[in-house]
Amino acid sequence: MSTTDPIVNKPLHVTVNGIEQPVEDIPEQLMMLDYLNEYRNLTGTRFGCGIGVCRACTVIVDHEDGRSEEIRTCITGAHYFEGKSIRTVEGHAERDENGDVAKLSEVQQQFLDHFSFQCSYCAPGFVNAATVLVERLQREPIPRSQLEATISDALESHLCRCTGYVRYFRAVRAAVLAMPGTTVEG
Amino acid sequence: MAGYRQTAVALVLALSTGTGWAASQATAKQIERGQYLARAADCAACHTAEGGTPYAGGRAIETPFGKVYGTNITPDDEYGIGDYSADDFYHVLTQGELPDGTQLYPAMPYTSYHDIAREDSDAMYAYFMNLDGVHVQSKQTDLSWPYSMRWTLNFWNWMYAPDDDAGQRRAADDQRGRYLVDTLGHCGQCHTPRNRFGAIERDRHLQGAVIAGWQAPSLEAEALAARGWDDASLRAFMREGRSRQGSMYSEMYPVFHHSTRYLDDDDLAAMSHYLLGENPPAAARVVQKSQADDGAGRQLYLNSCAGCHGADGEGAPHVASAMTTNTALRLDSPRNLVKIIHDGIDARAFSGYERVQAMPGFGDALSDAEIATLASYLRRRWGGQQDAVTAENVADLTSAGD
Repeated sequence: MSTTDPIVNKPLHVTVNGIEQPVEDIPEQLMMLDYLNEYRNLTGTRFGCGIGVCRACTVIVDHEDGRSEEIRTCITGAHYFEGKSIRTVEGHAERDENGDVAKLSEVQQQFLDHFSFQCSYCAPGFVNAATVLVERLQREPIPRSQLEATISDALESHLCRCTGYVRYFRAVRAAVLAMPGTTVEG
Repeated sequence: MAGYRQTAVALVLALSTGTGWAASQATAKQIERGQYLARAADCAACHTAEGGTPYAGGRAIETPFGKVYGTNITPDDEYGIGDYSADDFYHVLTQGELPDGTQLYPAMPYTSYHDIAREDSDAMYAYFMNLDGVHVQSKQTDLSWPYSMRWTLNFWNWMYAPDDDAGQRRAADDQRGRYLVDTLGHCGQCHTPRNRFGAIERDRHLQGAVIAGWQAPSLEAEALAARGWDDASLRAFMREGRSRQGSMYSEMYPVFHHSTRYLDDDDLAAMSHYLLGENPPAAARVVQKSQADDGAGRQLYLNSCAGCHGADGEGAPHVASAMTTNTALRLDSPRNLVKIIHDGIDARAFSGYERVQAMPGFGDALSDAEIATLASYLRRRWGGQQDAVTAENVADLTSAGD
């Protein structure tokens, strides 16, 4: 008796970077990372460790109540995202009518200005994590004195094998401080 | 000349303290044997705080009656056991009574240690007396009334402590296994049910119990085999901390970390032999197939678990335990499974260079009803357990304080 289940396809409804994706039949056991890379040709989301440790595969889930959340796509099935809206690293910059990048997000620009990227493999995860942090602080500002510790808490689970942590850290701090309403005195 | 001076100083130091005197009497071989026995008896699990100085005390042991703290058992004269004689040590170990007459709470497993051989006690004494004394006071026990009254323990001991002739004898390998499992390893302190006075129910030896919110499963041969254990896997589990049946987690991880990983192959074989018996029952295999009504549970599994544990439950080497042979799924009670799904498992180091990353908890991501659906699917598919888990079960098992 086979103990392996046959592969079953199911339709997936998901919004990526503000665009409802064409509904396709997707294997029910496909990981979200493979869906993005192979079905949507969104290759910015990276396969790193494949076991949910390095977080290069992190995307953002946008909840209806305005909260945004990090999710690791290498260990989360595509159908987990049924009916959900997500953002990938391709979705942060403003684009012109031709679809070309017109203006980077504050986080992306600060990463460039601080030379945070080296090999860039972990960058999509860091961009998404930092964006989630900035958005959280815009909703729930913190005292300025807690900023450094808050950044560390938010980013410490993301791995950078080039060890670019200090420049990531400085870039995120600069991004937070450049955005009004994220911190209060204290 | 320098050598002569050092010898003279060492001699004076040795003669000037009880510790030194005891140390000078112990041979290196006896000390090494004492270390092995102290590991087999898993003294460190309670007498060492996590990340703390070995044997300097500090770990809180939760009991239904309150918190008991493992004491400092380094040879410090004031806070440790520096002033114990070998007789005192043997008496504390096997009778639960301090040299000054104070009764220990039975969180100290003296009812198990009761049968420890005198020569083994002396070897452990030699080992502990040769450690550096740590001048640290351990935390004070915090029990609720009436258990806070130590004198009541005299009645407890009269009722429940083993008689002097309680030790039974069997064939050599079995006797060694029994000694390691029941006496030194004191497995029954968690795996045997207790009555409402906290005393072990000896007629339900190793039949499994709930302790500190977790199910300590039955270690009876039939129950072990039904959960897929055989001799090879039991020995591997104790030595490596992992096997096809799963990994050491919760309260068993310290047991592995401080104790079973140090045991030699002969002793592990003796323990396995004692538990499984002369003719071990065949390890059960659960026939696995998906069912039409697996729907929601299966999709939850594929969405949140299969990335590491595999779409068909095969697990991933060095990363995640297999579901197909997982012992926790085969327990009658869903307690451990539900708690693991809800709270996750810490990153752990196992034997050799084996390191396994943390399993995230899904208490925030999944509702109680979803966890119930997922647990029911896992138990039915790979555990052979047909009873559905309900959202109420999940709420009960994961509420604060359980």
